[in-house]
Amino acid sequence: MDASFISNLILASVRMATPLIFLSLAELYSQRAGLVHIGLEGLAAIGSLSGFMVSLITGSPLLGVAAGAAVGILVNMIYAYATVNLCAEQIVYGMAVNIFAPALAAFIYRVYFGAGSELVQVGLMTTLSGLLGITSDNFLVRLLLDQTPMVYLAYGLVIFTAVYFNKTRSGLNFKAVGEYPKAAATLGINVVGVKYAASVICGALAGIGGAYLTTCYSTTYTDGNVAGRGFIALAAVIFGRWSAGGVLLACLFFGFCDALQIRLQVGSYGIPYQFFQMIPYIATVAVLAVIGAKKAGPKGVGKPYLREER
Amino acid sequence: MEEFLRMEHVSKRFGDFYANKDINLTVNKGEVLTLLGENGAGKSTLMNVLIGLYQPTEGSIYLNGQKVRIDSPAQAVKLGIGMVHQHFMLVEAMTVFENIILGDRNARGVFIDREARKKEILELSARYGLDVELDKPITEIAVGAQQRVEILKALYRGAELLILDEPSAALTDIEVEGLFKIMRKLTEEGKSVIFISHKMREVLHISDRITILRAGEVVTTLKREETDGQALANLMIGRELTPSQYEKAEQAGDPVIELRGVDFQKTSKHNGLNGVSLTVGRGEIVGIAGVDGNGQSQLAQVVTGVLTPDAGSVDMKGSRVAQFTPNGFILENVSHIPEDRNKMGLIGEMSVKDNIVLKSTGTPEFSSGGGFILKKKAIRGYALKMQEKYDIRCASIEQEARNLSGGNQQKVILARELENNPDLLVAVHPTRGLDIGATRFIHDTMIEARDRGCGVLLVSADFDEILEVSDRIIVMFEGQVMGVYPGKNPPIEEISLAMAGK
Repeated sequence: MDASFISNLILASVRMATPLIFLSLAELYSQRAGLVHIGLEGLAAIGSLSGFMVSLITGSPLLGVAAGAAVGILVNMIYAYATVNLCAEQIVYGMAVNIFAPALAAFIYRVYFGAGSELVQVGLMTTLSGLLGITSDNFLVRLLLDQTPMVYLAYGLVIFTAVYFNKTRSGLNFKAVGEYPKAAATLGINVVGVKYAASVICGALAGIGGAYLTTCYSTTYTDGNVAGRGFIALAAVIFGRWSAGGVLLACLFFGFCDALQIRLQVGSYGIPYQFFQMIPYIATVAVLAVIGAKKAGPKGVGKPYLREER
Repeated sequence: MEEFLRMEHVSKRFGDFYANKDINLTVNKGEVLTLLGENGAGKSTLMNVLIGLYQPTEGSIYLNGQKVRIDSPAQAVKLGIGMVHQHFMLVEAMTVFENIILGDRNARGVFIDREARKKEILELSARYGLDVELDKPITEIAVGAQQRVEILKALYRGAELLILDEPSAALTDIEVEGLFKIMRKLTEEGKSVIFISHKMREVLHISDRITILRAGEVVTTLKREETDGQALANLMIGRELTPSQYEKAEQAGDPVIELRGVDFQKTSKHNGLNGVSLTVGRGEIVGIAGVDGNGQSQLAQVVTGVLTPDAGSVDMKGSRVAQFTPNGFILENVSHIPEDRNKMGLIGEMSVKDNIVLKSTGTPEFSSGGGFILKKKAIRGYALKMQEKYDIRCASIEQEARNLSGGNQQKVILARELENNPDLLVAVHPTRGLDIGATRFIHDTMIEARDRGCGVLLVSADFDEILEVSDRIIVMFEGQVMGVYPGKNPPIEEISLAMAGK
């Protein structure tokens, strides 16, 4: 184990954590408005395909990300309408998104590219250092500059979210909706409006998280490329105690596990690689077993809000 | 006096059911108008119409002579109508300060200007004597303080009319006094108050005028001077109600349950028991008096097998209890009317019918093979019989129990707990939140059970209730028994002092 192994590991952790950060923030906004969303996996899958196709067609990964966000919002409106207006069970509709969206993505991919085995490849987003024309092997330079704009966006969003929920009036009202919607309503807060806003944010961020995988991380789209990140994000929100800072740390931890397993796979012989692949998921289960017991999330999560309920 | 609010011919219909029908009422500036009525008389529905949670089916509302449409809670707030709900609308995960400024539309800017807001709130609280600690989380302040937060919340939004929905239900006597002081201060400042209650003493004490509702309609409106408690009670329930006077049992039978030096988390002042010894005999009602949260709840859970004491002994009908399990106590024929009927007494999502037989599904009467296959017909027949016997008012016995009014929910529990002639009945706050009619029914049923030879342990924070039905009175304070007093001609002074720990 040498210095370059460790610095590469750290760099990879940051890269791996980025899609998780988008997905976890998506979950955080949704849950803060009382909507537990287990369908992030599906939203990310469709976002991933949209990002891939648009960046392939237009040649612009940024447009791909925007498309991922737009499609994420669109699909999430189904979930929002069902759970907010029709007061349907959130878990059931989250699951429905998980079944429906990846299948739709796979279907569109087949229709558009045919069932051939030829792998279509797309160019990735340029890193900041690439844009600036800097090439250096210095670790700090690589950590701080050799990243795609999406990484900066992710960390920016974490800061924004922390400030929003802790310092702003609007953030306080938002949280009240997730805690006690009826109380929020009697204070004149538009509960349905906040829930929809949360769903738009959630859809967009989950779509971006998915699109990140095909615009910044891998040059191809494959079915199942989200690989459980939607569920790990769910765990990260619980692990992070429903706060932006906590979620960031949780994502870095899970990103680290992911990076570690890839390094170990490459660097070891004799042990089946599947064992290493399990690391992020085992870490998730272990963390939830320890932390998840003490539930401290928004009180109104999972419950529908009916105004004229008797 | 100047009129502030007028409701004309207001009706609210749910399906075919009129929760409010043709309501007319006025509230003047600087007065306390009481809405009096039994549970289900339509008081809460009417108030929900007023604060914009419900839309009236018909009728109009005037404020300061202007016709208004209140189509959302936000609109009600804007018009100066504030309500303190019976179940507080406070976000527990937030602080007092955050709860007060939530949803504030007057504040400008993106960020919360804590200093400026706090100054405004403190000015208000000083003006009306609403003493609160702004930086404490809601979970850490007492119920009385939570109520003051609710009132502050309304005033902070510029409420001119304050609706208080059964504000005294959860308060101690001292806290109620404090509340009345605040209400007087409000009316002195020209604000109006709608007070909802069915505690006669309080209604006669604080009201200027009293509007009586029955079955969704206004019966009449009276000035306080023109009426008395008995007249109001009769108007409210629509028939003559003679004052209750129960014979006190002077001699108790063999002990049903005997506690000796029972400890449970004894260092906890509010949730523990410290060396509690007491006996409940057959055919007597032992009333546990005391301010809520002095270990009564734990006592009730020990004698029903929910909690296992840390030390001491419990004898059930002469034999030592070795294992504390609820089922063991049920098999010993102990019945329990728990303190929270929604959380512990009923399964809200299940039907009235199923709740009635919940404890006896294993008996041959209701199932074959010891609970293997339910005899649906027998259960239905039995539930119908119980519905009639206990006067459970519901649309159908298939209705979900959570949709019943509090009184009827309690009757479902009574039907389940009393039909098997228990040896010991543990009743915790059995009439909390219930109206006169339902309260009377429950007291009558308890007395009947006693006369059949059942031992009754009654825990209540309502001192009047304890005095009315108890044959012996035990006062608890900070987990300890302060004294045992006779139920006949009880020394009220002495008991009150004991309740305060003196």
